[in-house]
Amino acid sequence: MRTRTRIVIPALVAAVAVGTAACGGSSGGGGPTAAASAPPTVSGTIEFWHFFTDREATVIQGVVDDFEKANPGVKVVVKSGQDDQKMRQAISAGQPIDVALSYSTDQVGPLCSSGDFTDLTPFIERDKVDLTQIPKTVLGYTAYAGKRCSMPALADVYGLYYNKDLLSAAGYTQPPKTLSELSDMAVKLTKYNADGSIKQLGFMPLLGYYENAEAHWGPSADAQWLKEDGTSAIGSSPGWQTLLTWQKDLIERLGGYAKLAKFQAALGEEFSAQNDFQTGRVAMNLDGEYRTAFIADQAPKLSYGTAPFPSAQGFESTYGGGYITGNIVGIGKGSKNPEAAWAFIKYLTTDTDAQVKLANGLKNVPTTHDAITSPQLQLPEQFKTFLDIFENEHSSTTPPSSIGAEYQTIFGTHTAKWQQGKVADLPGMLKQVDSEIDAAVKLQAGS
Amino acid sequence: MASAIGRRRTRVAWGFLGPSVLGMLVFFVFPLVMTVYYSFTSFDLSNPPRWNSFANWKFLFGGDPLIGQATFNTLWFVAILVPVRIAGAMLVAWALTRARTASGALRTLYYLPALIPPVASTIAFVFLLNPATGPVNKLLGAVGIEGPGWFTSPAWAKPSLVLLGLWVLGDIMIIFLAALLDVPVEQYEAAELDGANGAQRFRHITIPNMAPVLMFSLITGIIAALQYFTEPAVASSTAMGKAAVGEGASGMLGWPDQSTLTYGQLLYQKAFGANLFGYASAMAVVLFVAAGVVTAVLLRRFSSFTPEVAA
Amino acid sequence: MSASTLTRPQASGAAPRRRTRVVEGTPWRRRSPLVFVADHALLIALAVMFVAPFVFVLLTAVMSPEQAGTSFSWPTSWHWDNFAQVFEKLPMLKYFGNSFLYAGLATLFMLVSSVPAGYALARIRFRGSRLYFFAIIAMMLLPPQVTSVPLYVMWSRLGLTGSLWPLILPNLLGDAFSIFLLRQFFLTIPAEYSEAARIDGCGELRTLWRVILPMARPGIAATSIFLFFASWNDYYGPLLYTSENESAWPVSYALAQFRGSRSVDWNLTMAATLIAMVPVVLVFLLAQRAFVRGVTLTGVKG
Repeated sequence: MRTRTRIVIPALVAAVAVGTAACGGSSGGGGPTAAASAPPTVSGTIEFWHFFTDREATVIQGVVDDFEKANPGVKVVVKSGQDDQKMRQAISAGQPIDVALSYSTDQVGPLCSSGDFTDLTPFIERDKVDLTQIPKTVLGYTAYAGKRCSMPALADVYGLYYNKDLLSAAGYTQPPKTLSELSDMAVKLTKYNADGSIKQLGFMPLLGYYENAEAHWGPSADAQWLKEDGTSAIGSSPGWQTLLTWQKDLIERLGGYAKLAKFQAALGEEFSAQNDFQTGRVAMNLDGEYRTAFIADQAPKLSYGTAPFPSAQGFESTYGGGYITGNIVGIGKGSKNPEAAWAFIKYLTTDTDAQVKLANGLKNVPTTHDAITSPQLQLPEQFKTFLDIFENEHSSTTPPSSIGAEYQTIFGTHTAKWQQGKVADLPGMLKQVDSEIDAAVKLQAGS
Repeated sequence: MASAIGRRRTRVAWGFLGPSVLGMLVFFVFPLVMTVYYSFTSFDLSNPPRWNSFANWKFLFGGDPLIGQATFNTLWFVAILVPVRIAGAMLVAWALTRARTASGALRTLYYLPALIPPVASTIAFVFLLNPATGPVNKLLGAVGIEGPGWFTSPAWAKPSLVLLGLWVLGDIMIIFLAALLDVPVEQYEAAELDGANGAQRFRHITIPNMAPVLMFSLITGIIAALQYFTEPAVASSTAMGKAAVGEGASGMLGWPDQSTLTYGQLLYQKAFGANLFGYASAMAVVLFVAAGVVTAVLLRRFSSFTPEVAA
Repeated sequence: MSASTLTRPQASGAAPRRRTRVVEGTPWRRRSPLVFVADHALLIALAVMFVAPFVFVLLTAVMSPEQAGTSFSWPTSWHWDNFAQVFEKLPMLKYFGNSFLYAGLATLFMLVSSVPAGYALARIRFRGSRLYFFAIIAMMLLPPQVTSVPLYVMWSRLGLTGSLWPLILPNLLGDAFSIFLLRQFFLTIPAEYSEAARIDGCGELRTLWRVILPMARPGIAATSIFLFFASWNDYYGPLLYTSENESAWPVSYALAQFRGSRSVDWNLTMAATLIAMVPVVLVFLLAQRAFVRGVTLTGVKG
C-alpha cells in the first residue's frame, strides 16, 4: 500500500506544481496564427463543437462529410449539443477546440475581446475572401470593436407563425399587423375549460415562453439595448415601455398571469413533436425560421402561415422587420491546427454548395448572396417571409457587448417581475435596469 | 514513554497521513489562498488575473443586483428547511419506535427516498407538483382545493423544495432512530413513576439524550443549506421546461423570479456563466467565512467530545 | 436534500451507548389497543406518503407521450417498452459506465489513501494528531463552491477538464469525510488489539494490515458505500468538469439534461429517472446491514 502511494504522490506533486506555476501567467497572447501563404492541402484532425442536436446535428454531419471528402487528409471530430456557456468555459480553460459554432451573436463580444476566438483577419486577407458576399448587418454582428473573430454560418430570423385552421374558424383570413390586432385576435382565439383554465391559447404574452424574449420583441417597437459607449439604453428607449405596457394589457385580457402560468406549466417541449404550436394548443406563436423544418418533420399536416411579427403602436412604419441573429463560427485559441480549422470555416461560411445544403437541411437563412439567390435552395412557401424579413431595413439584432448576454439577463430578471404585476413604476424599473447593466459593464472592465 | 519511541511513532503516523497531508495542501490550503488572491483581481480564465484592488468587493456589497435575493434565499433555507427536516425526521423516527411489526421493512421504506440521486428525486417532484399535469394538484382538485403553482410560482417554489427535503429526510431520520432506541428505558420508567406525562418525558428525557445528535444534525444541516445547489438548480431548469439549446444553464438559475436562486448558484453563474472568476472568488471568501463560523461551533463541541487518542 | 448533496456529514450520528434496547420496536410499556391503532395508522400514512411518489413516477413512465403531457390520470395504455426506448434514444449504458467509473475508482482510491490516515488518527499517539483531526473536520465541512474557482483553474491548466478525473484523482490524496468516518470506526476497535500486536513486534503497517483491517471490515464497507453513493449521486462536480463533454457524463448529471435541453418527453424522463434509481437501491438492499451500521456508528463519539 505504501509503495503504491509513493509512486503516485510524486506524480501528483509534479502535476500540481505545473498547475500552480501556470496559474500566475500562462495562456493569453500568442494563439493560433495564419501561415504566410495558404498551404496547398490541409491535413490533420480538427475538433468541431456546435450546439445542434438530433435531426439538425445530422444535417451538419452531412456537410462535415462533404468537407472530409474534399479534403481527404482532414478528420473532423464533432462534438454536438454544446451550449455557449460550456463552449466558452472549455475554450478559456484551454481545451484544444479548433472550430466552434455558437448559436448566438451575444458571445461575439466576450469571445473577441478575451482572445478566446482568434482574429480571422490575417486568414481572410491572405485568402482574399470576398466579404461583400455577406450582408452588412451580418458582418456587423460577427465582429467586435473592429476585430473580426468570427464568420457567419447561416442566420436565424424571427417572425409570427399562425395556425390557418384556427384563425379561419374564428373568422380571420389575415395575420395581425399591429400588436393591438394581435391582442384582439389572441383574445378571440382563446378557449377555456369548464374549470376556467385555458384550453387553447390565441397568443402567449408571457416572456420566457419558447421564443418569447425581450430581444425577439424589440424590433417591433424599435427598442434599443445599448448606447455607443456600451452602457444601457433601455431606460431611455421609448419602445420598451410601449412593448411592456402592451404585454401587461394582453395578460389581463387573457385572464391574468396565474392562468397563463398554469397553461405554460403544461407546455410541450419546444423542439419535440409536442410543441404547443404544432399540437394546436397555441394559435399564434413567435418563432424562428427553423420552425418550418420542425413542422415539416413532426407535424406535416399542420396548415400554417408566417408573417413578420406585428408592430407596436406608433411604430407601424417598421412593419416587415424582425429580429435577426445568426450562428457564428470561429477558431478557438487553443487550436493546434489553425490551417485546417480555417479551411473548414471557409468551406462552411463561404462555399455556396455548403451554405445551400445547410439552409435546405436546417431551414435557416443562408448568409452569402450567392447562396440566397441560388436556384438550388428548396424552401417551403412559408419560408419566403423570413428571407424578406432578413432583407428588411427595420430588422435588427442584439448588439455585441463585453458582458455577453448578461444585459439581456439583467433585463429579464425585471420583466419577470413586471409580467406578474409586481412592478408599479415602469420607468423607475427601467432606470434600475440601466444602473444594473452599467455596473456590470464596469465590473467586467475591471475597474 | 521514551521520546525515541514517541518520535518514531510520530514519524510513522505522518507517513500514514502523508497522502492526506498533501491532499489538504492541494485541495484545501492552496485553493483558499488562491481564492483570496483572485478576489482582488479581474480574471476571465482566458487571460492572466489583473489586480483590480477592491472592485469586486465594492460590487459585492453595493452593485450586484442579485446577491441580496440569493443571500435571502439561502438564509431562508437555513431558517426553514433545516429545522423542518429535523422536526420531520424526529417525528418519523419516533413513529418507527412505536411499530410493533415490520419495523425493519418500514424503516427501509422511509429511508429509500434519501438514497436515490437528488437529481432524480428533484425531477420526480417537479413532475408530481406540476400545476397542470401533476397528480398532486389533480388530487387536491378532487377534494375541492385549487392547488398552487408549486415550482412554477415564485411564492411556492421554496416551500416545494421543503416538501422535497421532507421526502428525503431518511438520512437524518435513521440517525435519530438509533439515538432514540439508545435512550435508557429505565429513565422513562422512573419518570413515569414520578407522574411525568408524555410531553414532560419528551422534554426532560428524550431531548437531553438526543442533544449531541440533534446538535450535529443542525450544524451539518446549516452547512449543507449554505451550499444548497443541486435541488434548486435542477428544479428550476426542469420546471421551466424550456429547451435551453445554446443558452447555457446559468440563464435560468433561480427560476421563477430568482425565487430559488441560492448563494451557491449565483457564485457558480458568476464564475462559469459570466467568466467573472475574480468576483466569484470574492463571493467564495464570504461563503467560506460563513461556513467557518458554523464549523467553529461544531469543532468546539468536538473538542469536548473527542476522547484522548489511545496509546 | 438527500444524503448525498447534503454533504455526507449528514449521515453521521451517535455511537451506541451501553444499555441499548436490543430488540427494536419493543414498547417500553404496555400500550392500550387504541394507542396501538393510532400508532399504526400514523405508520401506514407515512408509508403511503413515502411510497406514493414512486408509484406516480412509475405510472407516468409507462404512459404514452401524449398522455404524460396532459392532466394526470390512470394510464390509458401501458407502454412498458418506454424503458427500452430510454436505452435506444439515449446513451444510457455510456452514462452508467461513466457513473461506475467515477464512483468505483473514487472509492478504490479513497481506500488506498484514507484507511492508513484514519487508523493513524485513531490509534497512534503522535504530536499534532488532535489539531490534524480538527483540520480534517474543517475540510470535510467546506462548501465545494469555496474552492471551485482555483481548482477549476488548476485542472484546466492540467488539461483534465472535460473529464471525470478532477473528481476521481483527489481521492488518491485522501477524502476528508472518509478519513473522519474510518477514524470513528477504528476507535470502536479496542486498543488492546493493536497493543498486543505491537508487543509481538509488529510494525504499525503490519498491525494495521494483519490485525486491524480484518476487524474493521464492516466499517470499511460502510465508508466505501458512502463514498460510492456520494459519487454516484454527485451533480455539482460533473456539472463543473464534464458538462461540455457528453461522453463523460455520469447518469446523475445526464438525467438533469433530458428535460431542460434534450427535449425528452415526461414519460421517458420518468422512466430514465426510475432507471437511475435502480443501482443505488440495489446496492442498498444488498448491503443494508453494513450501511445502517455505518450510519449509526459514526458521528459524535460520546
